[in-house]
Amino acid sequence: MSDYDAIVVGSGAGGGVAAAVLAEAGKSVLLLERGRALSFEQVGRDHLRNQRLAIYGHNAGPDIEGNPRTLDPASFPMPVGERQGEHRILRPHEPGYQNNAACVGSGTRVYAGQAWRFMPQDFRMASEYGVPAGSSLADWPIGYEDLLPYYERIEWEIGVCGDHRSMTHLPAYARPYPMPALPLPHKSSVHRRGLDALGWQGLRVPRLINSLPYNGRPACINCQHCVGYACPVDAKNGSHNTTIPRALESGNCSLRTEVMVERLMCSVGGAVTGVEIITADGSRESISADVVVLSCGAVETARLLLNSATAQEPGGIGNGSDQVGRHLQGHYYPGAVGLFPEQLYDGVGPGASLATCEFNHGNEGLIGGGMLTDEDIVTPITFWKRDYPPDVPRWGPAAKQFMRENFCRINDIKGPVQEIPNPDARVQVNPAVRDRYGIPVAHLSGTSHPETVRTASFMRERAIEWLRASGAIAVWGRKPQQYLSGGQHQAGTCRMGEDPAHSVVDNFCRVHSQSNLFVADGSPHVTNGGFNPVETIMALAWRTSEHIVANW
Amino acid sequence: MSALFDENQLRCLEAVLDTLIPPDDYPGAWQAGVGDYLLRQLTGDLAHLQTSYRAFLRCLDAEAQYLHQCDFADLANDERSDLLHRIEKNRLETNWPIEPGAFFAQVVEHCGEGFYSDPGNGGNREGIAWQMIGFEVRG
Repeated sequence: MSDYDAIVVGSGAGGGVAAAVLAEAGKSVLLLERGRALSFEQVGRDHLRNQRLAIYGHNAGPDIEGNPRTLDPASFPMPVGERQGEHRILRPHEPGYQNNAACVGSGTRVYAGQAWRFMPQDFRMASEYGVPAGSSLADWPIGYEDLLPYYERIEWEIGVCGDHRSMTHLPAYARPYPMPALPLPHKSSVHRRGLDALGWQGLRVPRLINSLPYNGRPACINCQHCVGYACPVDAKNGSHNTTIPRALESGNCSLRTEVMVERLMCSVGGAVTGVEIITADGSRESISADVVVLSCGAVETARLLLNSATAQEPGGIGNGSDQVGRHLQGHYYPGAVGLFPEQLYDGVGPGASLATCEFNHGNEGLIGGGMLTDEDIVTPITFWKRDYPPDVPRWGPAAKQFMRENFCRINDIKGPVQEIPNPDARVQVNPAVRDRYGIPVAHLSGTSHPETVRTASFMRERAIEWLRASGAIAVWGRKPQQYLSGGQHQAGTCRMGEDPAHSVVDNFCRVHSQSNLFVADGSPHVTNGGFNPVETIMALAWRTSEHIVANW
Repeated sequence: MSALFDENQLRCLEAVLDTLIPPDDYPGAWQAGVGDYLLRQLTGDLAHLQTSYRAFLRCLDAEAQYLHQCDFADLANDERSDLLHRIEKNRLETNWPIEPGAFFAQVVEHCGEGFYSDPGNGGNREGIAWQMIGFEVRG
């Protein structure tokens, strides 16, 4: 008799869904989270320590001390972190770490909540484009139609606002969004002019935000602190206020916070038997379960599998084909900043409202592409740190004058590029460096594939074209470089596939070598779309969890 | 007075910060609280820079003495700017124990952080920088 029917490790986008679906089906569930539950006040509005600008730390975890990772210096264009031997040791807020929030709800506590469905072509990239040299580009073993019912469920049950009629890049929606799009800020109407002039598709950014009161919580008040922060009125829909409460209200789910899973426990016969955890006070416990679902994010899920080596699987659970941790990808975010002759800023948040999917596919000579959107409201210090023009003095009267005259006349256009997976972009474990619990840390190495940089460069040009067509009088922004990508959109490290020789999980996200171990985060994504991936993570987790229940 | 800096060093720091973000009809860096931001950070995230900051301020005064026979804070505004531009380009007459241009670039960053980030960090007193640029906060 196991302690629980199921253990879900990680309470982010995928873990919340898994806990809710399993608990509502009557399974006893233990949901484990390494971070704490954070109130709005605890997340706070620290402009120097948030998931958007993390100069000195993070408002939603993890703590900057005790949670290091190591990085191959060749993976990042600048020296980052602290050199130790061949590697660099990074703290969570340092570039190259690939951080995700560590708190109840994980990234969904502080995200922008852009709620994109992937396009049908995104699931068959190899068939559409062929496989470029040096890449591990492959088709998903499932398609858009397989996820469609779950996309709809996420949109209705978690709560998405948008305008389904504007989503002309997708097959027609059978169900509209349950809530209309958020109000269009002034700057988005300016950008609309550019799209119209260019004849490009323009659509309303769908978001996991209540534009009307929904699911017992109020509507968005259009504040200026959305992405990177918690919602002051609880109108942003994340795991912490949707799926996790549902799981808990079923009476079948227990949530334990500030616990770290050290390793999975396995039987000899190809099944996991539970997890070994370490609590905040350092004590260890073994907890058994009939099913284990990993939802730790692409870096930490791979790390946990690799740290759980057994006599049968000495290279790590599910790693018989040396696939665990490979194909790490995220999203390049090429774009540009534009200065306009008129005031753009009207304070109407969250901001990212208007997008185009004109260039997600069908770009001559390129593999895929990406979505472009205008940006959420940028805090003054984020603008000053990230978006300030390179040819304007950074100090003295001219610098102050520039900020004063132009902060409200500036906006950026950017978007996520569908990355071309590189098998050498990978997560391994580094036993020479341990976290606060004594567990070997994740070691990151490799870089993006050159095709990703090429597509990103093309998308940057399209962003500049859009800004100019909207009336920008000056445009600037960095050119994409090659580096290891991952970040909050991290994916790919336990790729899905029919063939265990080339994948880690099957087409229901079960680890090939284990009868009862599943992955519900971005790790199974074979490719990661040219879109924010959270709705796909949630939809896939829902499908996986229903499959677990149906085959119990 | 502060435990980190003596009176001369504080006077020099104020002059540096107000040269980076000078007062006009809106407050300069010092009046907006950037000094408070920095003093707080130098006992927190930037504690490792205490010695370098003291060295920077000491050397800045020495450089001003060499060039103009007075402390940095006693220079006219354009003389202060000229001297900081020389530091930025590592064109110095005296010996510095730190790399002047690279450290100065950090000071510029810290000054911007104190001025433009949220008042909860100790600078941007009463949101004055946000008022100046038009960033309003609701909710």
